[in-house]
Amino acid sequence: MKLADIRKMDAQIVCLGSHPGIIQSMLDYDFLIKKQQPSIKVIVASGRKQERYFWGETEIIIPVVGDLEKLPAHLKNSCNMVLNVQSARRVLSSSRRALEELPNLKILTIFAEQTPEAHALELHQFAAKKDALVIGPSSVGMVVPGHFKLGAIGGTQHQQLSNAGIFDEGENAVVSTSGGIVNELIHTVTGAGLGVSFAMALGGDRFPQTTPAQAMLLAEADKNTKRIVFFGELGGTDEYEIAELLRTKKLTKQVIAYVAGTVAELFDAPPQFGHAKAMAQTHDESASAKKAALREAGATVCEKFADIITVLEKCEKAPGKRTASTIATRQKSLMISHISGDKNQEVQLLGRDLLQTVESQSMASLVASMLLGEQVNSPKLVNFVDYVMKLLVDHGPYVSGAVNTIVSARAGKDLVSSLAAGLLTIGPRFGGAINAAGEGWIMGVEKGMTAKEFVEFYTRDRGVISGIGHKKYRIDLPDPRVEALTKFAGNANGDRYLKFARGVETVTTTKKGNLILNVDGAIAAIMLDILESELGYDQDKLKELAEIEFFNALFVLSRSVGFTAHYLDQRRHDEGLLRLSPNEIRYLGG
Amino acid sequence: MDVPYQGWSVAADNAKQDLRKVKGADSYVVKVDQAVKKRFKNGLVLLDVKKKDLPAAITQLQDKGYNSFIVEPFVAHAGGTERYLSLSHGRDGHTLALSSTGGVDIEDNSGSIETFAIDAETDWKKLAEKAALGVEQLQALVETFKRNHFVFLEINPYVVDGDAVNLLDCAVEVDDAASYFVSDWTESDIRAPKRSSKEELAIQALDANSPASFMLEIINPDGAVFLLLSGGGASVVIADEVYNQGFGEHLANYGEYSGNPNTHETYLYTSEVLNLLVKSKAPKKVAFIGGAVANFTDIANTFAGVVAAIEERAEELAKQEVKFFVRRGGPRQEIGLAKIRQALIKHNLLGDVYDPSTTLTDALGTALKGLEA
Repeated sequence: MKLADIRKMDAQIVCLGSHPGIIQSMLDYDFLIKKQQPSIKVIVASGRKQERYFWGETEIIIPVVGDLEKLPAHLKNSCNMVLNVQSARRVLSSSRRALEELPNLKILTIFAEQTPEAHALELHQFAAKKDALVIGPSSVGMVVPGHFKLGAIGGTQHQQLSNAGIFDEGENAVVSTSGGIVNELIHTVTGAGLGVSFAMALGGDRFPQTTPAQAMLLAEADKNTKRIVFFGELGGTDEYEIAELLRTKKLTKQVIAYVAGTVAELFDAPPQFGHAKAMAQTHDESASAKKAALREAGATVCEKFADIITVLEKCEKAPGKRTASTIATRQKSLMISHISGDKNQEVQLLGRDLLQTVESQSMASLVASMLLGEQVNSPKLVNFVDYVMKLLVDHGPYVSGAVNTIVSARAGKDLVSSLAAGLLTIGPRFGGAINAAGEGWIMGVEKGMTAKEFVEFYTRDRGVISGIGHKKYRIDLPDPRVEALTKFAGNANGDRYLKFARGVETVTTTKKGNLILNVDGAIAAIMLDILESELGYDQDKLKELAEIEFFNALFVLSRSVGFTAHYLDQRRHDEGLLRLSPNEIRYLGG
Repeated sequence: MDVPYQGWSVAADNAKQDLRKVKGADSYVVKVDQAVKKRFKNGLVLLDVKKKDLPAAITQLQDKGYNSFIVEPFVAHAGGTERYLSLSHGRDGHTLALSSTGGVDIEDNSGSIETFAIDAETDWKKLAEKAALGVEQLQALVETFKRNHFVFLEINPYVVDGDAVNLLDCAVEVDDAASYFVSDWTESDIRAPKRSSKEELAIQALDANSPASFMLEIINPDGAVFLLLSGGGASVVIADEVYNQGFGEHLANYGEYSGNPNTHETYLYTSEVLNLLVKSKAPKKVAFIGGAVANFTDIANTFAGVVAAIEERAEELAKQEVKFFVRRGGPRQEIGLAKIRQALIKHNLLGDVYDPSTTLTDALGTALKGLEA
């Protein structure tokens, strides 16, 4: 990897695990350097479908997927950076997965502390085969001023970022084994009136993926970098590699170095300091030996931390090039909505002015769009919704929902109460079958089950197959409504859902003649075929629709008309309270 | 490895009970089992101890400040037959080091140590011959190393007599970050190099039970400079500065907290450091609370815990005329720094409070100057 190439890249970031503070600070960085789009594209975490963040002062949504494999192909290809904030236990598996799944991954930073050494070594071997810069573990990440911030580096509050002076491209590379110190050094550099070309925290582990020497070579090859400020610690022998690079002139830029840990000389036994690698077992690993080697090789070694400032203040000042944005106060909203809202004091539905919608769209088109949460333009879908809404509007006063509405109406209840009484009846045994049927068809097709396997699966575990079976109609006396619905077949996907449903019917009807595909099952299957063919919905999206009860919504809406009609009808009759007679109920007690 | 081993762990506080289990040999070896190097040279291994003399041997070692021991059967062997073997890992894979002149003087004989990379091309037969072990034995050793997340293993010395292999002394360093992935050892099997004080033990427990990390080590109980630091890197820099500015002998402790601990945790941590501070017999004492510019550790929250602990002991601290110096930056630093300044003024403990515009070196320099006056 070369920094010149990194600077040319448009950062497209996947976050493995969610760390809201860090993610928000990366978005703030993007916003403050006036990027048009947030560089974070997706978060891989369990539990939610999206997370809310701020882009400047307004809220935005970052999608969340449960598994890296579920990332859409275009994102897998376009994402070139990964922020890994998963726990140490999962560092090896998740980082490996990222390197495997994302073909264009160029930079991966690992945040967790306490990663087992053997895992770090295994990852190192694996990553060596890929052309990617892997930083950490225990790293707060990398920032390339003016381009991106990958990790907590530079701070997690937007005010901190503004104070750090890391928006402007500069000439000083900052490389540190410590996360706190990388930030301290950034402030030291910018406080001295200089700029940062890039800054990275390598992490305080014994086997960092990117070694100090590799970081030096990155800086050496970078035209923007004039000198390097380096922070190392006692423990390990990485600094000798830097000395060797200096000696062999592979590293020619000025290295201003501080190696911490001379205090270890106070201890009887070698002490273990805060970082995993910070323990000197031998003289070579001590801070003073490493400082001596670096000094001898030509590095500018600072004895006191403040000496770094003295050295930097003598450097030629390079003025900043960019003026950054600012972020004012933010207010988190209580709720978010895709459906409607006010814009310029006018009500909008799905991004269109209400009146404009009323004048140009049919009710069915509006229902289809609103229920799907997006403007749909497929005439076929609209026609189908129109047909289904009409078909489901009422199936007689006998069904339990209608009965409850009628009973309530006759008890003198108002419209809304009576309608609610009917609606509250809708569930697994009444009216809820379309959704359940949809779930079944999706599962069967997705798993590539044969109709027979599907039937066995249901009869073994659940007993009933939603969308199959009718009281009156039989194989030799087909339901005319199902026949009528099939005029919406002939979809671009080859009607795979309807075909699957018909296949299931073939199996079930050999058992019993009335186990035919019913209206609910047919509506679900054809709706799936249309959504897949007309709107290009994939299975995940279809599954989500079943999960959120989209298919039931059609029934609820349509039947509300029926229930309301029954209510009004009963009020017109005004027959008084309905009461069952004792011979209609058999008392078993006493 | 299929090498018979016999040995008994003896804890100082349960020596009588533990020693009852020891049996079966004419005489024994008693060793300190506390991750101390060069035990033999430091007189921490006692050879050829008869059973009746074991309690006295344990007491003898205990008096040197240790509390964990191993008793093993004593195996007499001819001089010059001791071998050395060690295993380690690194970026290039595993490395085996061997010497046929092992024993306590191995460091003087370091020229005799040969190293071999363990990889796909390893000639196991040749290597096993060199080690005077069986191929399967050697492979099992490497497997054990890998499976148990060892970081370093040293068998020094071992003696080979025909088919019989006898490991006379062995030490392993395990990767404590890997305890979740191993089944053959747990955190409780890890031996600390020396006896920890009450305060150090409290911090070890705090560290073990938190996603954040905590560390505390006492250097000089009667020191004058007490550090309450955050950040693995900055804490070493600050301790260095104390040393570099000539106050090494007055440095009481090293320690750090990091990884955004919560308010209660920093309260507990601070309380332990203050315990040490109050106990110190130094005539003049300063406390330095500080760190670099934090990336994600919340300064307002962490300092709220620090302030609570200080307020609890404020009277005592003021009586001892302790002065507190603070230098810190990071998320919500304005709130954190203002709060601590207010508390220190209120209790007459204020040395000074600095934000990141003052360097670590300068802030510490001012704090140390107070000791000179």
